[in-house]
Amino acid sequence: MSVIRSQDVQAEGIPVTSCWNCRAAVTGAHFCAACGKVQPLPTGASYFAFFGLPQKLTIEPASLEGQFHMLSWKLHPDNFVRASEFERNLSLERSSQLNDAYRTLRDPIARVEYLLEHLGVRKEGTTKQQAPPELLEEVFELNESLDELREARAAGGDVAVLQGRLEDAQQNFQEKLDEVDAELAGLGRQWDAAVDFGGDDSKKQALLARMNELLNRRAYIRNLVAGVAKELGS
Amino acid sequence: MGRVVGIDLGTTFSLIAYLDAQTRAPVCIPGPYGSTLCPSVVSVGHDGKVIVGEPARAKLLKQPERTIYSVKRLMGRGVADVQDELKIFPFRIDPGSDNVIRVRLGDKSFTAPEISAYILRELKSWAEAYFKEPVDRAVITVPAYFNDAQRQATKDAGRLAGLEVLRLVNEPTAAALAYGLHRQKRGHVAVYDFGGGTFDISILKLISTNEGDIYQVLATNGDTHLGGDDIDNALLELARREIRDKFDVEFDHRGEAIQTLRKSLIRAKHELSTADKTIVQYPLEAKGMYIREITRAEFDELIRPIIARTMAPVKMALADAKLAPKEMDEVVLVGGSTRIPLVRKTVGDYFQRTPHCELDPDEVVALGAAVQADILETGVKTMLLLDVTPLSLGIETMGGVIAKIIPRNSTIPASAQELFTTGVENQTAIDVHVLQGERELA
Repeated sequence: MSVIRSQDVQAEGIPVTSCWNCRAAVTGAHFCAACGKVQPLPTGASYFAFFGLPQKLTIEPASLEGQFHMLSWKLHPDNFVRASEFERNLSLERSSQLNDAYRTLRDPIARVEYLLEHLGVRKEGTTKQQAPPELLEEVFELNESLDELREARAAGGDVAVLQGRLEDAQQNFQEKLDEVDAELAGLGRQWDAAVDFGGDDSKKQALLARMNELLNRRAYIRNLVAGVAKELGS
Repeated sequence: MGRVVGIDLGTTFSLIAYLDAQTRAPVCIPGPYGSTLCPSVVSVGHDGKVIVGEPARAKLLKQPERTIYSVKRLMGRGVADVQDELKIFPFRIDPGSDNVIRVRLGDKSFTAPEISAYILRELKSWAEAYFKEPVDRAVITVPAYFNDAQRQATKDAGRLAGLEVLRLVNEPTAAALAYGLHRQKRGHVAVYDFGGGTFDISILKLISTNEGDIYQVLATNGDTHLGGDDIDNALLELARREIRDKFDVEFDHRGEAIQTLRKSLIRAKHELSTADKTIVQYPLEAKGMYIREITRAEFDELIRPIIARTMAPVKMALADAKLAPKEMDEVVLVGGSTRIPLVRKTVGDYFQRTPHCELDPDEVVALGAAVQADILETGVKTMLLLDVTPLSLGIETMGGVIAKIIPRNSTIPASAQELFTTGVENQTAIDVHVLQGERELA
């Protein structure tokens, strides 16, 4: 598995290349240390590496934001209005990557999703849509209540009781969502510790697999909550 | 190379500004009538000559069939998009138009960018007379909530007017720029921009770094069809109804008479920004005189629903920025419609602070555009604007469902990738239908 290969920025496997302008050696840095020219994005570099961060899940928001502003100042296409088309494109490419990386990493959930995708544990766009088995019964009841509400509305019947029941269900699922988030945060800390202290492979794999399960569960519950909110709002 | 300027191409008025090299302060350039405001009105004479601005506004009464105002409402839009506007605005759409609207002025027809280009040319001539030098490049402002077609139409107008458009800057962002320079304030700023035809709200964060200031737009929202024009139309509806009931006079909504009535109602609206009441008088020839006192209280009740419509975008922008109203350090008012006391009160109550309006709400957008133009021109970067995409971007997938790929309020430039599979076996080609907006179905 490719999981363990990338523990820190140096180990991300960014090949040493030479600066397109002065031929000095560069290893994924935004600018060439020798001539200061903006460099192409290395293939396969992660959002973490873009910010010079280790692949850990605890990120201090203020320092990430500070980095974002500092890099925006340096990489923004406004700085390259008068540069060659080649450099303008490099600036555009790096600025886009900066904005995408910041948008992803500043959100704790998107951050976990990204890490799992980057490490090949989670395939993009393959969120499982079947109900987690332990939720089956509650989901069944919820769908029943939703159907009843729609029918009652169509028939012009009394909907207050049904609405109350749905609001309770919504509350219940919202709490489950909070539980999932808390567990994810805990796993994130364990992951960070494993990265710091070189935890063994099988332990890391288990953490990643559990996080992936939780993300699927989270996506499923969130859809439910959104569906109920939409029905109650209509 | 000629001079570079900043232009606010507004629904009601347009302005042109530059950055004074000595004072480093942006300044609006006055036109031949002494005002920095050029009415966004274009009129075509019987001889085919096109006139713009103040003299064209005079033609609005004499030759309404040859004169157009609020053309910004038609920028980048197709006939189907503007059906609601056509009921209220006296646009004479060429019956041959489909995707691109053509407007008839006298015996000729024009696209919206062509008409806007006349306004831009007029402003350009003001600046050239002022500098005694050619002007060939500009930063033009657009409502933050303009979509790509509306932005492209604005760029086309610039090109037709012989201007290289260096950048389109969002109006509230430009206002924040001018305002930030003026006040040297830092923190969260809400810019409430209520103009003649469009409403925008932007939530920004102003940051000072060792190298310079960063203006980061956190979220933007708005309604490209909500403005002072709607207030004028509400007043007009009221007057038309009363005149119909009392005098049995019906107005042709494209005629000359209604323009005269409209003009006196707009004057009444302006007066009610400072006075508690005003009187509208409108002669109905043989049938007598329509005399109507309008109090501030009655005016407020009439426009309350229009003002209320601005608050939904405000709430959405704050939710996207993940901020509460009370977390704003400053609230800035932009656009002529923010002179209305009820607007100021509504905004002040919501944010629980007195909004700022010390810069002229008509000029502030053009001033900000001039600042950005100077930075692009000189390459001397003292500040950086980080703007966002106002609408989500996605592609149409099977069954017309939109897969959003770049969410609204993402900092630009942005990129994103997502994996899609083909719909049938052995499919050899795909059409990628890129969509902008928040709907879930194409």
